[in-house]
Formats: sequence, C-alpha cells, structure tokens
Amino acid sequence: MKTISRLGHEARLGWTLVAPALAVIGLIAIFPLGWTVWESLHLHELRMPWLGQPFVGLANYVEIAKDPRFWAALAHTAFFTVVSITLELLIGLFLALAMNRVFRGRGFVRAAVLVPWAIPTVVAALLWRFIFESQGGIANALLVDAHILKESMVWFIQTATAWVPVVLADVWKTTPFVALLLLAGLQNIDLSLYEAAAVDGANAWWQLRHITLPLLKPAILVTLVFRTLDGFRVFDLIYVLTGGGPGTSTEPVALYTFNALLQNLRFGYGSALSVVIFAITFGLALLYVRGLGVRLGGDET
Amino acid sequence: MSRTVRAVRVPSRKTAGVHWGQWVFGAALVLLMLFTLFPFYWAIVASLTPDAALFRDPSLWPQHIIGDHYRALFVDRDFITPIRNSLIVAGTTTIFCLCVGTLAAYALARLEFKGKAAIMAFILAVTMFPQISIVSPLYLLLRSLHLIDTYPGLIMPYMTFAMPLTVWVLTGSIRQIPKDLEEAAHVDGASRRQSFTKILLPLAVPSLATTGILTFIYCWNEFLFALSFTLGPERQTVPVAIALFRGQYQVPWGEILAAAVVATTPVAALVLFFQRRIVQGLTAGAVKG
Amino acid sequence: MAAALLGGCEQADNKNETVLTFSGSALGAEGTLVAKQLKQFMVLHPDIRVELQRTPDDASQRHQLYVQWLNARVGNPDILQLDVVWTPEFAAAGWVLPLTRFSPPTSEFFPATITANTWAGRLYALPWFADVGLLYRRTDLVPKEPATLFEVVADAKRTMATPRGPRFGIVWQGARYEGLITGFVEYLGAFGGRILDDSGRVVVNRPEAVKALQFMRDELYNSKIAPLDVLTWHEEEARYAFQNGTSTFMRNWPYAVGAMSDTSSRVAGKFAVSPMPSSGEPGGHSTATLGGAQLAINAYSKAPDAAYELIAYLTAPEQMLQRAQAVKQYPTRTALYSDKRLEDALAIPLDAVRRAIESATPRPVTPIYTELSEILQIELHRALVRQAEPQDALNSAAKKIDALIERTGMRKLMSMENTVPAVAR
Repeated sequence: MKTISRLGHEARLGWTLVAPALAVIGLIAIFPLGWTVWESLHLHELRMPWLGQPFVGLANYVEIAKDPRFWAALAHTAFFTVVSITLELLIGLFLALAMNRVFRGRGFVRAAVLVPWAIPTVVAALLWRFIFESQGGIANALLVDAHILKESMVWFIQTATAWVPVVLADVWKTTPFVALLLLAGLQNIDLSLYEAAAVDGANAWWQLRHITLPLLKPAILVTLVFRTLDGFRVFDLIYVLTGGGPGTSTEPVALYTFNALLQNLRFGYGSALSVVIFAITFGLALLYVRGLGVRLGGDET
Repeated sequence: MSRTVRAVRVPSRKTAGVHWGQWVFGAALVLLMLFTLFPFYWAIVASLTPDAALFRDPSLWPQHIIGDHYRALFVDRDFITPIRNSLIVAGTTTIFCLCVGTLAAYALARLEFKGKAAIMAFILAVTMFPQISIVSPLYLLLRSLHLIDTYPGLIMPYMTFAMPLTVWVLTGSIRQIPKDLEEAAHVDGASRRQSFTKILLPLAVPSLATTGILTFIYCWNEFLFALSFTLGPERQTVPVAIALFRGQYQVPWGEILAAAVVATTPVAALVLFFQRRIVQGLTAGAVKG
Repeated sequence: MAAALLGGCEQADNKNETVLTFSGSALGAEGTLVAKQLKQFMVLHPDIRVELQRTPDDASQRHQLYVQWLNARVGNPDILQLDVVWTPEFAAAGWVLPLTRFSPPTSEFFPATITANTWAGRLYALPWFADVGLLYRRTDLVPKEPATLFEVVADAKRTMATPRGPRFGIVWQGARYEGLITGFVEYLGAFGGRILDDSGRVVVNRPEAVKALQFMRDELYNSKIAPLDVLTWHEEEARYAFQNGTSTFMRNWPYAVGAMSDTSSRVAGKFAVSPMPSSGEPGGHSTATLGGAQLAINAYSKAPDAAYELIAYLTAPEQMLQRAQAVKQYPTRTALYSDKRLEDALAIPLDAVRRAIESATPRPVTPIYTELSEILQIELHRALVRQAEPQDALNSAAKKIDALIERTGMRKLMSMENTVPAVAR
C-alpha cells in the first residue's frame, strides 16, 4: 500500500491544521490555568487582604493532604463516579445498540433519548428534587401506592438514601450523552463482520463480545475519559439536590472547592484543590488509555 | 485488509432463541423510554399546575390546568431574548468548533508527525480543571479583552471547552474510516484537499452530526460561564435567565419548569431533524476493498 | 427601566452628569418599586443618572458575582446590595467604603441593624430593610399567642390531636444551609445562649446552647410536632406546608405574609405573626434573627459621593414607607414604628412586628462568618439527623470554629469589635 511520506511536508501540514484549535484553546485557557497553578502556591485570602499574597510553596497542598473533609469528598466523588459511569455505560450501550437498529419509531427513540441531556442541569436537578420530595414528591406517592414503601420516606436525611436521587438524576441526564458517543463508535464498525459471523453461526451475544466491544474500544475510551472528567467535576446536581448533606456525606470535591473559593474566599487553597482535581483526572485518563490499549498518537491495535 | 473475523469455534444457537431475545430487548427499551421521558412528562404536568397545588397532592395527571406559567414566561419575563442569545451562542460555537476541530482531527488521524499524542493530551487537559476555579481568572482575561457581556465573550470559552470532545471523537472516527478510498484517489491524482472534502467528509458526517449535537447542547446548558460573563438581559442565555427567576426566598417552580419545557423544544427539534444523519452506516455503498 | 451598563469606567456625559449603577432586582413588585424610586431620585438630582444593573435576588448567586467583580476591582455597580452577614466580610476585604465621612444618622436606625454593619469601629453600609424571623400561627386553631416555646409545643400537640387537625405542629427551615442557623439562633436566644460572646470567645457549646439544640431535636423525635421533612426544607417548602393548612405553626420570614394572602392560600386571613418566644427559663429571651439587605458603596466606584446620595435617599423614611406598602418589607428606622402609616402599609398589627425587630439579633459580625456558619451548619445538621449527639456536635463545632479563628488571626480583631450585647430583657 502506497503512503504519501514526505515527512517534512506532512509535519508542517499537520501543525498548520491543528494550529487554529491550539490557538483558540491557548488564548483562552493558558492564562486561567497558569493563574490557578500560580495561586495554588500562594496564600490568598480575599477577606484578609492585610495578609498579602505571600508565596507559601506547597503549604496549601499539605493542608489538603491533612484535611479529612477533602478525603471524604474525594471518596464521595469516586463512589458517585464509579456507580454512575457503570450504570451509564451499561444502559448507554444498550441504547446505542437499540438506536443502531432498524425498527419502527427509532427516530422518535433517538430524539426522546436526548431529551434528558437537553434540559439544563440545574432544572434537571430541581425536577429530581421535586420527584423525591417527601411531601409533594411523586416518587414517594408511587412507591407507597405500589406497597413497596409503608409510608413516605424522607430521602435526603440519610446518606444511603440521599445518594439514590443523585445517582438516578445523573444517570437519567447523562446516559444520552454516553449513548450518542457509543453510537458514533458503532457506526464505524463494518457490518460485513457481523454478516460473516452470522454465517458461521454466532449468536448475538457472541457477536457483541467478540466483534462489537473490541471495535468499540476507542469510543469507550472517549466515553470513559469524558464521563470521568464530568463525574469528578459534578457540582450543580449535588448542590441543588442535597447541598452536600446530610452533614457533608454527599459532598463532592467540586462542591468543596466551590465553598473554599467563592464562599470562604480562600483563593490560594481553592486553587490548590483545583490542581489536585486536575492531577487526579489526568492520572485516571492516562490509566484508561493504557488500560484499554489505545495509542493516542497512532492507529489502534 | 485486516478486519476479517478469525476462525474460531463459535457456539451455535437455535433460531427460536432469537425471538425471545427480541421480546426482552423490546421490553427493556420500553422501560428505558418510560424512565427517560417520565420526568419530562412530569415537568410538563407541573408547569401547567398552580404552585400551591404542586405541594399539596402529587398526582400523575394534571388536575387543574393553568396556562399562567407559560404566559408569565413571555409576558412578564421576556423569555424570547435569552432563547435568541442561546441560539446564537450555541449555534456559532458549534459551527466554529466543527470547522476548527475537523481540521485538527484530520491532521491527528491521517498525518504522521511527532507530538500528536501530546497535542491530544493538551487539548484534553484544559478541561480537567473545575470550572469554578477557572471562572475568576477567565473573567479577568475576558475583561481585559473587553469581551464581557458580548457574544464572543461566551463563544470563545465555550469553544475552548467543547473542543476536546469534538477533536477526540472526530479523531477516533476518522481513524476508523479505512484509508483505501482516499489512497485510491491519490493514486488517481487527487489532491489531499479533494480527497478530504469529497471522500472523507461525507463518510464522517455521522460523527460530525453527533459531535455537533453534543456541542450544541453543551453550550445550550452551560450556566456558570454564562452567569459570570454576561451582565444583562441582552446577552444572558437561557440557563441564566431561568436562574434569575428565583427571588430571595421564592422559587417559582411552575415558571422554572415551563421555561425548561420551552427551552428543550428547540433542542429536541434540532435532534429530530439531525437524527437520521447521526446514523448512517458505512454500508452506504462506499467502502469495499 | 434603564438597561445595564457594560463594565468599565463611567464618564460624565456631555451634560456633565454623573452616572451611577445600582445593583438590584428587576423582578415583579420589587422591580417596579426600585424603578420608581430610582426615577424619583433622578428627578430630585438632575445631575445624576442612575442605571439599574440586574443582579440575582438569590443571595449566594449575587455573592458569587460580587466577589468576582470586586476581585477584579470593577467599579460597577456603584451601590451594592449586601446580605446582612456580608458587610464585615466585604469591609475587611476592602471592597466597600466606610460611611463615616458622610455622617449617616445611625441613631435613627435600630441598634442591631447598625451593629451588623459595623466593622472595626466603622459603619460600612446602611440597613435598607429588615427581615426578622417570625412565628406564624393559625389563629383559628391557636387564638392566643404562646408565651413560651413549651407552650408552642403544647399548643401544637393539642391541635394535631384534634380530629381533622393539621398533620404537623410546626415547620421550619432545617436543610443544611444558612436558614438553619437563622432558626437555631432563635432557639439559642430563647434559652439564653450565644454563638460568640462579647469578647469573641466561642460559647456555642455551653449548656444553654445544648438545651436549645436538644429542644429542636425533641420537636422532631420526642413531641414529634415537626416532621422529619423539615430537615430538607428551605423557606418555600415550609411556607407551602403552612399555606396548605398542614401545619399549626411555622417559623419563617416576613415575605410569607404577602405570599400567603392570595386566593390560592388556604390560610388567608387565618394567621398571625409574632416573634419566636422565649423558653421561659432564666436567661432566655424572645429572639428574632436579623436578616435583610444593606446598601453599601463599591470601594472602586468613581462617584462615591453621588452613590451616598442615592443610599441616603433610598433609606429615607418616605422611601421605606413606600417599600413597606409595595412589597411589605419592614423598615429599619425606629421612628416609623410609631407611625400609623406603617401599620396601614403593612396591613398587619404593628405591635408584633415592633417586638420582633426590637428583639432582632444579628449573627456573629465577622468577616469569617460564612466559614463559621458552614461549620455550625454541618454540626447542627448532624445532630438533627441523629448522626451525633447535641453536646458532641456542639463541642466539635466549637473546636473547629476556634481553630478557624486562630488560623485566620481573627481573635484579636474580634475582641476589639464593639459588638452590642445580645438584647437583654
């Protein structure tokens, strides 16, 4: 197979083509990111300007490491992310396979599937809060009518039950996103592979495991990476649904960062928290790339 | 050609099993559709109910329909302007993102040069910081560029944070499109640009449509930047407008939900229009060795 | 209504006029009132033009925007609308100007409202309107105002036991947010407790405070007059519960009076307000938490003198009366409470309101209030959902608040603070 290989020319063309994207991102993102890292190395309490903004090195990071509330928030975030992603991948895969098929009404299904994702997060959170409201909420009404619950439960005052609406709301809202990404991946799989397998007598389950999933790896990678990013930055949803309560038992790191930055006005500490969140998500992304065996820079295996 | 199925012993199945599977599939799909649409249905019901009744007795069917909330949206609150703003910002961002992102994705997928992995990592890394921390310095930056309360002041940050998804998805998709056709075209004397526009782009349309929709929705729903970088109703977008419905203690549920229903409609329309584009199989006849 | 200005400098127009930006609401009756008063001001001051910059009514959203703007040293809006607990924070950060050079008539306002706006001996904002925590009760079920908290419990239980009586005895805001603190402060005062004493020492774990917290818990789990749901409720959920007739008593802000007087309300004309009563125990006193909005001058404003003119105008007696009539918010000037026009404007008996404002208690006046409040919210909520015992929760809160004061070096500053002692009865 002939390939066009004039490296110098190709490299130049390559950089030219990525230049616009890099330029936009660079213009907007470099300063804020640099500023955040810079702030994280300083003490900066807006309420107490007389303290100045002294360089404190890694002191903020040390404070984070010693802060039990941070570790708790991290645990909550990890728990929430793992549970949500798992559910979203499973349901999303199912939906993607469904949307890929030919059946009557699939246009409607495809549009309907996207509705949750089209609703602003804050409104979705309000909706789910309403649904699980103990007095006027439809969830309690339905569960009591179906005799699953004896009486209305106050979901948000116990940690275990408070997570239910949170996870449900996130799964409801984000599964469409996952489904679309996986669908895009499904589109690129050559249908003749399925035909060949069917001729050989393979059933749907086998086809799924041995053809679909392996070839879906790039799409799954993208999904995992972006969903993990979003999971670790989850804020609006939990802010509206539980406010981090009861106590602080549903508080994720992004909410904790928000408190530090915009409520308590501790810009240095809050920036350090952001850098830590960045480091964790970056590390996870690397793990995914390695784990799924996808090479970022070239063709996949 | 590298994608033939390896010869492996496969379990065989009776044909009757297929029908059972289809029933399960159908039932699961219906359940999922119910789960997906129920809250939205509930939002519509609630938006037609007086607020006080909402807290009294929840019921699946609208008991006492009023149009007040919807009227208030357009008469008392001028909901048209935020919708206009959202459409402009989301639409422009999507178009720019697709253009810029496709070029980058083409380079990352089809060309060989050092630093590709680093570029992809960099593009992704910028979105890994929580928005909360980026808001303050970004505000400072936009202010120094005199972009506060302007359309570009929203479009540019949105592009920055929507770009990674665009680039990553398109890069992956383009990589999975076999190179055969393009290379055949090159042999026949076509330039790179021609093979890109006439062969590759049409095949990439499903991915373009998908990322287009995802980008549009991201912009449509984005709240924190919109709240922080706009000052008044002339430029505020839908999520900000909805958030401003809240009084100091009062939460006008009915109006908020009515606004949500209204705000979702353009998006749903967009999706319905594009949904066939999202799913266009490779077997549209083009790619065989 | 004037449109918002772009952030940036204000220049005098050709007509040599000063332009001011006022941070306010454009919603509903409040929006109409603000527009009207701004226009009236402009008629009186032809050389000043005022433009309205719409800011969220929701306090925390507004706070976020203010922080962002002031951190960037933006001079707009010239006049800021501060929640009562923000003044020390903004003052310490250097974001609002001290008003001393304008010689504001501080003696004409309620002392508690002035205290809340004083930091390091200087006044930084004028109180615009006052919110005070009130006890709402169903007059058809409980005709006589209960004299102590224990009477409230007794009345509540009695009414709940009657056939077709309300399901709940009392509803309040118990979600894990600032509203919980405002309610707690009232129970605290009723038992004679405080969060910080006059020298800035943390006293929130003293026996009186434990009793107050235990009392709240008992309402939930012992006498069961308060449903567990309140632990997830903000103002509106409680309001609807009372409005739908499901509760005998409610603790809420004055806004609910107007909200519950329209046709959809099942209790219109059947309720009355009074300050939360004392516990009846020695040291206790009737307490109403002070809320409300204050007007302050942006430290980066280019026209502070004009800005003060506007603030003085908006806090003048006439304008406060207009506000009472239009949106039923309570003035902060003492003299108005002997004025019959106020009673007409508010359309409820003045006596109860005056008692409430006179027993108004500010929350701790310190720049670190939000962090302090958060600590307390968490511990209080944990005790209320029974994740911790009251004494342990309050001990933990006291320890953390102490550490906070240490860390931020606030101890010296706060003991220098001339706080008005809690209103003694």
